[in-house]
Amino acid sequence: MLRAHSVTVEFPGVRALDRVSLDFRAGEIHAIIGENGAGKSTLMQVLSGAIPATEGSVMRGGVPLRLNHPSDARRAGIAMVHQEINLIETLSVADNIALGHESVRFGGLIIDAQRQHDRAREVLGALGAKIDPSQLASSLSIAQAQFVEIAKCIASEARVLILDEPTAVLGARDAERLLALMVQMRMDGRAVLFVSHHLDEVVAIADRVSVLRDGEVVQSFERGTNGALTDVAGARVDEGVLARAMVGRELGSIYPPITLETDDHASCRCEPAIELVDFGAHGRSRGINLAVGAGEIVGIAGLVGSGRTETAEAIVGLRERVGTVRVGGVAVRFSNVRAAMKAGIAYVSEDRKGRGVHTTLSTIENIVLPSLDASTRFAGAWIDRAQQDAVAAKWIQTFGIRCPVPQRALSSLSGGNQQKVALARWLETKPRVLIVDEPTRGVDVGAKSEIYSILANLARGGLACLVISSELPELIGISHRLVVMRHGTTAGELSSAQLRAHGADEHIMRLASGVASDKDQTS
Amino acid sequence: MNMAIAPHIRPAHELLQRWGVVVAFAILFAVSTAKQGAEFLNPENFRAMLNSNAPVGVLAVGMTLVIISAGIDLSVGSMVVLAAAVGVTAMNALIASGTSELSAVLLGASITIACGTAAGMVNGVLIVYGKIAPFVATLGGLAAFRSMSLAIADAGEIRAQSATLFSALGRGGIPLPYLENAAGKQLTLSYSTVIFFALAIAAQWILSRARFGRYLIAIGANETAARYAGLPIASVRLRVYALMGLFAGIAALIQSSRMNSVSTSQLGLGSELDAIAAVVIGGTSLRGGAGRVWGTVVGVLILAMITNILTISGVSPYWQGAVKGGVIVLAVLVQRPSNH
Repeated sequence: MLRAHSVTVEFPGVRALDRVSLDFRAGEIHAIIGENGAGKSTLMQVLSGAIPATEGSVMRGGVPLRLNHPSDARRAGIAMVHQEINLIETLSVADNIALGHESVRFGGLIIDAQRQHDRAREVLGALGAKIDPSQLASSLSIAQAQFVEIAKCIASEARVLILDEPTAVLGARDAERLLALMVQMRMDGRAVLFVSHHLDEVVAIADRVSVLRDGEVVQSFERGTNGALTDVAGARVDEGVLARAMVGRELGSIYPPITLETDDHASCRCEPAIELVDFGAHGRSRGINLAVGAGEIVGIAGLVGSGRTETAEAIVGLRERVGTVRVGGVAVRFSNVRAAMKAGIAYVSEDRKGRGVHTTLSTIENIVLPSLDASTRFAGAWIDRAQQDAVAAKWIQTFGIRCPVPQRALSSLSGGNQQKVALARWLETKPRVLIVDEPTRGVDVGAKSEIYSILANLARGGLACLVISSELPELIGISHRLVVMRHGTTAGELSSAQLRAHGADEHIMRLASGVASDKDQTS
Repeated sequence: MNMAIAPHIRPAHELLQRWGVVVAFAILFAVSTAKQGAEFLNPENFRAMLNSNAPVGVLAVGMTLVIISAGIDLSVGSMVVLAAAVGVTAMNALIASGTSELSAVLLGASITIACGTAAGMVNGVLIVYGKIAPFVATLGGLAAFRSMSLAIADAGEIRAQSATLFSALGRGGIPLPYLENAAGKQLTLSYSTVIFFALAIAAQWILSRARFGRYLIAIGANETAARYAGLPIASVRLRVYALMGLFAGIAALIQSSRMNSVSTSQLGLGSELDAIAAVVIGGTSLRGGAGRVWGTVVGVLILAMITNILTISGVSPYWQGAVKGGVIVLAVLVQRPSNH
């Protein structure tokens, strides 16, 4: 249906795509995988008309398409769902779905609201999403917004759907529903193209997998007649094979060894670095009792919407809070992040681009931003550039941040490297307690593994870590202890032994979803 | 839909984005020289041009910092007239009460600057603590500050009661050796021009070397991210509006001293537009998060040269607005970021 023919994209000094030829067939789910910087985003941007190919072409039905602008792609029936939600918050769901192809009467003088509403209801119904078309987009949860984004593509009669990391921001339950939805779109005869770092999803639903590395297609896999994903030789392919194909080398376990022994663990709890007593974010969570010792990594699991992020934000003074926080045994109350920072508490946001870093500032400026006072003289009148460059260089080296020109805007770095910058800027404030929200969202396997060992090393150095994540293997792999949140409060806790036991993931899911009474779903 | 620019010609476009303002300046300079020759190149002409544009230049420099923080200040012209009216009125009252002229002038000058700063702080408080959008809060200031100064003088003129001392700042300057005008009189570099350049250098230094400037950029680029990074957002934003007020106070002092009077209905009228125009021509985006003071200075000079060339060529003043408007739009067109 859609074919990329020898597509090459060159940026000044970089060849982002090198003669990539791929077929996207109707009724097929085609997964593109690769490490960050492998060229996946560039490929999607070419297909969706956001950037032109330097050489080669995108063809539909054997005819080369002129894709100079996203609207060209839309006219050609190609729709893309971006990682970021692009809904207009002040419009209703129905208006958002109709955006760009409104049902109008009298030559555009009047929008036929009723027809738009019906159409939206029909599309959403077909997707199995119980979302009221008349509600405002601003009232949607992230998962719901994602469904509306997809509804938008379907309503525009797109035959080719491109999804960029569609499940990255979804909890496990919603992710499953989304995957089911993709399977349904394939059955409707659409070509579905998706990029994902979740290799289990790829193995589960993709009919064809193409692996990109350094801008080239290095390997392809196809689902055989027996329903299993196989390579050219017919051998069965699992996540391990895919991961190896992506990085081009053998990967050991991506999780570092857990070093904290249970004895130490007990001693940690005597002297917690941070203690939450009957704590919560006003209106969002409550009744949380939790202590994290120096050198301990405590995971926080829970479905999206369970109040994990809000609780973390309340700790560092970004939200109104209830209850008590004790740091080093002393009750504290922070009215802003700066106060929390001075008390040695750092929070790395889940929303990297929007909150975690400044994408238009340079790598150096980003790393030194929260701790800028340390690089200034004369009461802030003079920034010591040598000092600030040295601080940045130190972190670039310790974390192996790949950035050729640290003076260049951070947006030129891959997601994994930006995440390391987000961590570095907070570690430079020398915190006693580090709260990391979704530490590896949108980060490739290689960088993930690096971030895990960074966290393990920090804990070994005496930092108290709270790790919030929607990825269970990650939480199980790096936490000494784990707390499960549900409906704004703690639903249970798993000790180190329980975490290592067989079936821990199921145990966590049951706690997170309240076993049979699943109410916090997309509804 | 021919917006896409192929990657290989992007550097040229970026070059134009960055240096376009300098190119424009050079072109205007060349055109002026070609048309007016000696009359334009006459040092006295430059002196007069810089001197008369220094007050707007001072405002534009302050405005650059405000705009980089993703804000705007529409009240600068009204702050100028209010600060000047209050300052001169206070000075006159002091002279009338028998205070020595020198201390009256010094106090009057200080009050002018303090009044500007206070007005700027009012804007800042409304924006930071009242959580009113900068556009709206300073639109209120635009109306209110002007109205207050009209009330002070019954919409008329306030004449300074200092004979020569007060006007020394606005009219005087540093003698420049070897430069004489046609009449053989020695040329001076006016104090107002010196103040304009000194403030511009200070502001550029704040922007590139001081913590305050770095915070302005970070807040302008992404206020939410700045909040999550623990930056003192309220104090930085408050300070940038207070600083803008301070600059307006300085501009007010230059203006009232030069005229030795304050026309409450005319002084500073429309200055906010000239100041914002200079910032935009200079390549600072109204989106905030990045910018440059030196560009603004070139922007002020470009506007000054346009007025100059139109005046010398005898173009009706009624047409000058149209030309300036065209230049502003052109500047934004050339300097807007490419799509990718």
